[in-house]
Amino acid sequence: MLTKVCSGFSCQVNMQVLYMGIVNRAVRNISRRKIRASLVIIALSISLSIMISIPAGLMANQEAANDMANNLSSTITETGESITQALSQIDVTMSSRFAGYGFSPDATPTIIQGGQIPRDGQVLNPSNAPGFGDRYGGFRGGEISGQFGGALQASTPMNQELYSDISNINGVAAMLPSLEASDGSQEQTLEMMGRSFTTQIIDYTIKGIPLTSELLSSYNILPSNIVAGRNLRADETGVVLLSQNNSAFFSAKVGDTITIFDTDFIVVGIYEPSASTDNLILYMNLSDAQTITNNTGYITSLKIFTTSSEVVNTVVEEIRSLHPEVTVITGQERLNQLEYMQSRYNEAIESSQASIAATQATALQEIIVVVAATSLIVLFVMLYTVRERTKEIGTLKAIGFSNRAVMAQFILEGLLLSTIAGIIGVAIASFAAPTLSSLLLPSVQSSLGFTLSATGPIVAATTNPVTLSVELVLATLGGAMLLGVLGTLYPSWRAAKIRPAEAMRYE
Amino acid sequence: MNNPVLQIENLTKTYTLGKNPVNALTNLNLQVNRGEFIAIMGPSGSGKTTLLNVIGCIDKPTSGKVHLDNIDVTNTPENKLYKIRQDKMGFIFQSFNLLPYLNARENVELPLENKIKNKTERKKRASELLGLVGLSGRENHRPQRLSQGEQQRVAIARALANEPAIILADEPTGNLYSQNKQEIIKLLANLNLTRGTTIIMVTHDIQVANHTERMLLLKDGKIVTEKAGLHIAKKQSKCPHCNSSIKISDETCPTCKKALFETDEFFTT
Repeated sequence: MLTKVCSGFSCQVNMQVLYMGIVNRAVRNISRRKIRASLVIIALSISLSIMISIPAGLMANQEAANDMANNLSSTITETGESITQALSQIDVTMSSRFAGYGFSPDATPTIIQGGQIPRDGQVLNPSNAPGFGDRYGGFRGGEISGQFGGALQASTPMNQELYSDISNINGVAAMLPSLEASDGSQEQTLEMMGRSFTTQIIDYTIKGIPLTSELLSSYNILPSNIVAGRNLRADETGVVLLSQNNSAFFSAKVGDTITIFDTDFIVVGIYEPSASTDNLILYMNLSDAQTITNNTGYITSLKIFTTSSEVVNTVVEEIRSLHPEVTVITGQERLNQLEYMQSRYNEAIESSQASIAATQATALQEIIVVVAATSLIVLFVMLYTVRERTKEIGTLKAIGFSNRAVMAQFILEGLLLSTIAGIIGVAIASFAAPTLSSLLLPSVQSSLGFTLSATGPIVAATTNPVTLSVELVLATLGGAMLLGVLGTLYPSWRAAKIRPAEAMRYE
Repeated sequence: MNNPVLQIENLTKTYTLGKNPVNALTNLNLQVNRGEFIAIMGPSGSGKTTLLNVIGCIDKPTSGKVHLDNIDVTNTPENKLYKIRQDKMGFIFQSFNLLPYLNARENVELPLENKIKNKTERKKRASELLGLVGLSGRENHRPQRLSQGEQQRVAIARALANEPAIILADEPTGNLYSQNKQEIIKLLANLNLTRGTTIIMVTHDIQVANHTERMLLLKDGKIVTEKAGLHIAKKQSKCPHCNSSIKISDETCPTCKKALFETDEFFTT
């Protein structure tokens, strides 16, 4: 009936039985001191949730920085290409304030997409600028007047009559006046790593351009990639050309009637924007745009096509002498500005890399502290438990438990505690990780945003949600178990060293 | 009856207290035969506990030989002693030492964990043992729901579980009131009688010791007196003091005139 020796296969079976008993006892020992076990588990799970949140935050920061760098570089490339294609063009605006994009050292650090007249017809100034044009904000790529004009058009609308004399300047081939206005229905508060920005979401931007047959036949003033319906035709009114984004926003297809600024328009076509940042623009006749925004006779920018790129400088000089009050920008100047911007962005990206490096250093320190704290909690609690159960352990040893069995018992208890805590910690982190990581980590995104805005170029930061990857969860659980074992190693060694004679100590 | 389960030769155990070596046991010799029931008595500091610890493979002697069931315990390395305790020893403690979070049956199962691999069989065996100590039907009770006497019965069942060569009982009745005390000592005596279990018991209580066959008085680490317990003596109709004939009704020995129920007499010898 009794197996006296443990050898070969039967030994394996015996060990199994032994371990089942051990697990059972570990569970009961933990549930024996419910309050203590709960407190330990709470403390451990909080440290573990911090432990998982830090790398999660780091990853999000890194992704955000990468996104931003990619976004910046692709925007700069796009912009550079389109400027190069149109070196013979000149943009004229009446700038009330030289805001945005940081070409001026005293640029205000307000995030501004800028340039459009909101629906009440008031001219925007940077302090009430609508904010991000879209999530990636900043640039309006694609067409030249859009890219830089965007910010420059945070300006007084110009009376188009005033500029009829410009057409008489030698070398001017054509002029393209335009009026842009935006409509945004909601305010949105963007949470970025613990900081919040209130911005207006621009639903769409109308762009009114004169639909004259001369302009339409000679210049690419309308989008070329029509995906449904047709393009705008000369002298058409009451019709609009929607981007795919507009089409989705209005849930309108070709032939539908949509209401813009309280006026009905028929959708004649839908285009695919050449740059993703252009996707809010819907095109209509300039006269329509002026009417619906109560800006009859006014425009927000004037694009001048010269006969060749050689005459640009003389044309600019003449415009400046005729109208010193306006801002004139040439393609070449834009290229120069772009280079300046690029260097600014590079600085910003470098600073964000430096900030990420600093963040990683902080994170490492924090993780070391948390790991130490976690192990110490386990260590002290288990040491206390061992002391408290000295007699019990002595008894177990007296009735024939080996040192190894006693040690395994305590390690298992520590392991069990830390595993439960690990699971709870992951659960806590699954909703608290963004908050925890923003509390614990210097925010890369805001530093990027503010670095950029302080030096001029303002770029809406992308928000990358702090998420827990499966790998991270598994790593944390593994780490928790490891810490549980590490923290219990010394206490269980102490337990194993308890002499069986302790069983006979009577208090 | 010359079938020794325990042979102790010239056993000396020296502790160092501060800088002074203290002899807890000095040149002690003892032979215990299979099936004996022995009481070790003596004042505090006489070496009772040390002797019990050495027999129980909890302490190693400084010199001398201890043979347990023909195994030379003194030559067994410290980290293998647990195996001897596991196979050869049953322990009964003054304060029962049951694990409070295990029920009666699970406590009895503890020493069986790596002896009986089949869980059902182990449970059955534990229940049988609980029946043997009169606790049938109390298997699922935790120690806190058992009386002190019942707790000690569980502990006795646990000590019996591995079918040990020797049961070592350290003041098994020390924490019990008279009624329980009587029950426990009768249970031990009965187990000794019916199952032939060898029991070595340390006790202060002469009434308890009187139930044993041999009472050893320890003083300064030596066995100074050895007598049969009164109950046994009476059964054998022999005066424990002078070996002359006595009757069960006698209160003093007709030959040597010494009291047969003088409880403290043993200590003053």
